[in-house]
Amino acid sequence: MQEEKEFIQELLDPKTQNEAFQKLLHTYQRPLYHHIRNIVLNHDDTDDVLQNTFIKVFQNLKNFKGESKLFSWMYRIATNESLTFIKQKAKKNNTSTEEINAKIIDNLQSDVFFDGNEIQIKLQKAIALLPTKQQLVFKMKYFEELKYEEIATILDTSVGALKASYHHAVKKIEAYVTSN
Amino acid sequence: MKKFNLENIPKTTSGFIVPDNYFEDFSKKVLSQFPDETNRVIPLYKQKSKLLMAVAAILVIGLFIPIFNQLSKPAEELDLTTLENHLSYQTNINQYDLISELDEDDLNKMGATIQLKDEIIEEHLSINSDLERLLSE
Repeated sequence: MQEEKEFIQELLDPKTQNEAFQKLLHTYQRPLYHHIRNIVLNHDDTDDVLQNTFIKVFQNLKNFKGESKLFSWMYRIATNESLTFIKQKAKKNNTSTEEINAKIIDNLQSDVFFDGNEIQIKLQKAIALLPTKQQLVFKMKYFEELKYEEIATILDTSVGALKASYHHAVKKIEAYVTSN
Repeated sequence: MKKFNLENIPKTTSGFIVPDNYFEDFSKKVLSQFPDETNRVIPLYKQKSKLLMAVAAILVIGLFIPIFNQLSKPAEELDLTTLENHLSYQTNINQYDLISELDEDDLNKMGATIQLKDEIIEEHLSINSDLERLLSE
């Protein structure tokens, strides 16, 4: 924790800011990319959201109180940015977020940045039918392999509630794949 | 129909892939958007406030310089002419006040420095209308 406080100070100090931010990018750009990609599904949209996430992180570092870990704070920003992005995209296209996601999933096979097999496509289709919170929990646990405790701090919920959400999500996915 | 079970299949990924060199380019792209400390541009309003502060400081210093000069000057001794002028125009002090301040030594000193001729004294007494009172004093 002390190490993280020192790192935050380096990020805030104009003299060490540049080097510290490079370190921050190096550490978090890959996991955050995959986290965002799992929500917005498309590479170009992920690129936009990831940039916005780092800009927001940089702009709000001075307000970061250190009550949570830098890791969970950044994931929270990335999650909110992703969900806001989908909502705005749906609004712009005069449709719902579910429809936007369903359309992307239907076109996954033609996406040059998707390399999944039949099972992976079915899995994505099944996930897209889940409520937003269950989708998030399943993706973070199954694909990103985050611990329940980490997901709990990111989504600001209890571990018990997360376990229940994950369990429900798995059952629904299994039922969908079985019948399709 | 065989029931699908997530635990029975090998752990699968999301299937999403990342373009080659994406993260290298991404780092450069993001870093280029942040201000470089060495080339940081100071906003005009900040420059303006600094300028105003400098002007205010100059004005304050300018106002205080004459006061400091006055205070730092040593008190000059009054010359005799200034003293005489002051006494002449000082209405609260009259001739009698001055005379009352003179003692025997002062009169002797005055007698030594002021040489009065008898003719002048006589002339003065002849034109002075209050001769009797002066003689009686």
